[in-house]
Amino acid sequence: MQKRSLKLRSFVTIAMLSGISFILMLLNFPLPWFPVFLQIDFSDVPALIAAITMGPVAGILVELVKNVLDWIYTGAPEGIPVGHMANFATGVLFILPAYYIYKKFPSAKGLISGLVVSTVVMSLGMAVLNYVAFLPLYTYLLGFEYDMYETIVLGILPFNIVKGIMMLVVVTMIYRSMRVWIEQQRRQYLA
Amino acid sequence: MEKMIFGRYIPGNSFVHKLDPRSKLLFVFAFIIVVFFANNTLTYGILLAFTLIVILLSKIRLYFLINGLKPVIFLMLFTLILHLFMTREGPVLVDLGFMKIYEEGLRQGVYISMRFLMLVFMTSILTLTTSPISITDGLEVLLNPFKKIKLPVHELALMMSISLRFIPTLMDETDKIMKAQMARGSDLSAGPIKDRLKAVVPLLVPLFISAFKRAEDLATAMEVRGYRGGEGRTKYRLLKWHAKDTIILVALVIMAILLWMLRG
Repeated sequence: MQKRSLKLRSFVTIAMLSGISFILMLLNFPLPWFPVFLQIDFSDVPALIAAITMGPVAGILVELVKNVLDWIYTGAPEGIPVGHMANFATGVLFILPAYYIYKKFPSAKGLISGLVVSTVVMSLGMAVLNYVAFLPLYTYLLGFEYDMYETIVLGILPFNIVKGIMMLVVVTMIYRSMRVWIEQQRRQYLA
Repeated sequence: MEKMIFGRYIPGNSFVHKLDPRSKLLFVFAFIIVVFFANNTLTYGILLAFTLIVILLSKIRLYFLINGLKPVIFLMLFTLILHLFMTREGPVLVDLGFMKIYEEGLRQGVYISMRFLMLVFMTSILTLTTSPISITDGLEVLLNPFKKIKLPVHELALMMSISLRFIPTLMDETDKIMKAQMARGSDLSAGPIKDRLKAVVPLLVPLFISAFKRAEDLATAMEVRGYRGGEGRTKYRLLKWHAKDTIILVALVIMAILLWMLRG
């Protein structure tokens, strides 16, 4: 297929996957024993599929479009969309390690080990980013002090690990039933 | 379903509705910065008056604005109460014996909740008076300068518009698949987490496959109609910059200067 039409096709596919990702974001639910602002959703799964089949930029674009859409549709309750920025960072940190490891070892084992690395990178990365950027921003907007160390170590870090493990389980199950199809798409888009 | 087509947008004919999306976006971005200039009663008063004028001009029923506050109302009250009881500066206002409310605490609490309220109201007014598609059009023009650093602005806007167009369709499809799975006894919204994870897979797999298929069809259709990227493409929805767009931006600049001079 011509290069230009392949590019257009991937743009349109990214748009569709962003739409799915956005809808999945609306189907979020809180986990028991975690604060309500930490919610689980499966919106990173379409981004991961985009990254695996069409390359890392596609995955990042899905995360970006999803968050802009959500901001337009639901607005940012804090005024400044800090939550959306945090969600974008989480998504990107999650899909990139899995993509690169799967690229090296394109098998179920490669994907699972990639997702394990992703979970570690994402939860540690978000702990750091929350410490240096997102929590101070919230503090600044709301103007009160709270124990940042406690919020991260008892709330955000374990939450992201649980989220990562849940993603791992779901993506592995999806991969088992879609493996042939995913490989077929990869051959088309990443040839 | 209607809700998913328009987002939070409430069609109307007010002054704010008729503004160009570009000026509204610029206005809101600038307002987010200007809000932080205020630091005493006078400047907060000016800011509040300004916000009230914008709310009146938008003719949005207060109900919709309050509705948008629901997720944060608890957070706001919490902040207010925390400041009331934790800040211990200035003269004592109320002495309840077991605790005291200080003037500075009341002041800080009210200021911060007001700042919060104004930020939420202003950004809500943007999304309440502008349809998602015009926000996308506005963003595309405003991001144009970033083309110089190789940001694919046109492609991003294209993806946004396609997503916006297909969200209702995808929503329908998700709903259909979920109902079909429910009829088979699986439930995504209840039950132990293990079951929920299992229920996600038969929902996602058909969604992905049909998304790729639909994208292929749409891309072919676009090519057949001669889509060749952003270069030299004409627009169906044209944005028009009116005098009132300049006026609101000038008003904001004047207020910003005023706040800067009057802040303590």
